[in-house]
Amino acid sequence: MNQKNNLIIGLIIAGVVFMSANVDADPRDFVEGLPNIGIMLQEITEVDSSLFVTAFWSMLETIQMAFIGTVVGVTIALPLSLLAARNLNNKFVYVPIRALLAAIRTFPSILWAILFVIIVGLGPFAGVLAIIMYTVGFIAKLQYEAIEAVDIDPMDAVSAIGVSKLQLIRFVVLPESASHLLSQILYIFDYNIRQTSILGLVGAGGIGFYIINYIKFFEYGKAAVFMLVVLATVLIIDWVSVRIRDKYIIKSQRGMQIKA
Amino acid sequence: MSLSKSSKVKTLGKSSAIFTKTIVQMNDVSASYDSKNYVLKDIKMSIDRGTNYAIVGHSGSGKSTLLRLINGMMNPTSGKILVDYQTPNISDKKFKSFMHKIGYIPQNLGLIKNSTVLENILIGALPRVSGFNSFLKKFSDYEIDNAKKILKQVSLEDKADRKIYMLSGGEKRRVAIARALVQKPEIVLADEIVSELDHVTAREIMDVLAEAQATMKLTSIMVHHDLQLALEYADRVAVIKEGEKVLEIGVEGGRIVDFQSGNYTQREILEMFTNESKE
Repeated sequence: MNQKNNLIIGLIIAGVVFMSANVDADPRDFVEGLPNIGIMLQEITEVDSSLFVTAFWSMLETIQMAFIGTVVGVTIALPLSLLAARNLNNKFVYVPIRALLAAIRTFPSILWAILFVIIVGLGPFAGVLAIIMYTVGFIAKLQYEAIEAVDIDPMDAVSAIGVSKLQLIRFVVLPESASHLLSQILYIFDYNIRQTSILGLVGAGGIGFYIINYIKFFEYGKAAVFMLVVLATVLIIDWVSVRIRDKYIIKSQRGMQIKA
Repeated sequence: MSLSKSSKVKTLGKSSAIFTKTIVQMNDVSASYDSKNYVLKDIKMSIDRGTNYAIVGHSGSGKSTLLRLINGMMNPTSGKILVDYQTPNISDKKFKSFMHKIGYIPQNLGLIKNSTVLENILIGALPRVSGFNSFLKKFSDYEIDNAKKILKQVSLEDKADRKIYMLSGGEKRRVAIARALVQKPEIVLADEIVSELDHVTAREIMDVLAEAQATMKLTSIMVHHDLQLALEYADRVAVIKEGEKVLEIGVEGGRIVDFQSGNYTQREILEMFTNESKE
């Protein structure tokens, strides 16, 4: 550790302290508030089990919203990612598409949800539209990065046969980036379930509607039922995606390592 | 150093006499990736139809660039190249429609790892398939039969549905050869196709290529760093050193029949390569 590093670390710490004072983030408030955690934890344990049925059905609605949003979002994102990849297009194509995708990503899903509640009214449809927008922005970016990272050798070898660009995409780009895409779809579905759970906050349907309302009225025990159902669902989805990943992704990546 | 040729190649040497027309012509071709350093300098080369032509040199000598100039993936900085009376250039529509007549096997083979053997070799048939059908991965019965016939030719008929990542190094090379042959090429370009293989497998692969060349009457242009292997299989051998062609020899029945050298003697050239193969 030399002096220059010490100076950089010192400056970073000083920056954090200064900025904390600036935004009024006082650790003393946290210490004073600690007993509140105890009260909250105690109330959470008073679970109202009669609500589990409602929680189950609202979770199902959330999962359906996330599923529709993921499928439609990925379907829109895929052609956009092909147009945004620098190794497949000239800059007159990819620059505007990238700008559009960046604009879509500027809004988090909750802001999209507010926007769509204004447009189509309260309810799950606004939530689905918000999830679609978020998925398009997110998957298209990750996928065009994956497409740009496709091994140059097969691209080169197949281009040298004199095939058309569509054939190159169908036979090289899509198969070579498919395992990335699958991995990203699993991730975004998992993520969409979690974020759909909070879209109810702005009236865009799903389980979040119940969570936010019970919390608003300090009924932590009732909110806890819904949060437990979300937790259980996320764990199950996680377990399923690990299985899918093992079956389809790890295998092909191992295959790449034994490249002769 | 033994210079015995396999019998298959010998018959080819005779048959190539039928085709005397030049298929690849290079006049003072130079190439560079940046404006200062030349990868190739004033290359003169004339390759007759049906020849088994070998280009030999150390790594970094510009051999791979030479192949990329022939199939139009790269353009020369100066000089003129003619391949079947056309100037190779991938951006030129007319030449692009000729490119499927050139089978190109790059050093890293360029196979699609997550696709099956059959899917990979059918890529060679794509120029004959309409855009719509190829998007559905729909090939005619004729194309599938032809692909399977070629798989048999390279002894991979029982591996058609295997994924590439499940294959051995030798098998991957057979797939790359099969993909080139499915194109129904007139020329096959192969870049160090056996360089990472053991001697037995390397000869098996070279025999597959030699047989294909003889039966399909191809012109093959192969890059090697092993001079002995080149002398064993080729009709003509060009030696490239630091971007310049220093030597071209004709080989017949394992004997050097024609020796055109610039600044080096035959002994010096041979020493250049025997030192490397001892390593």
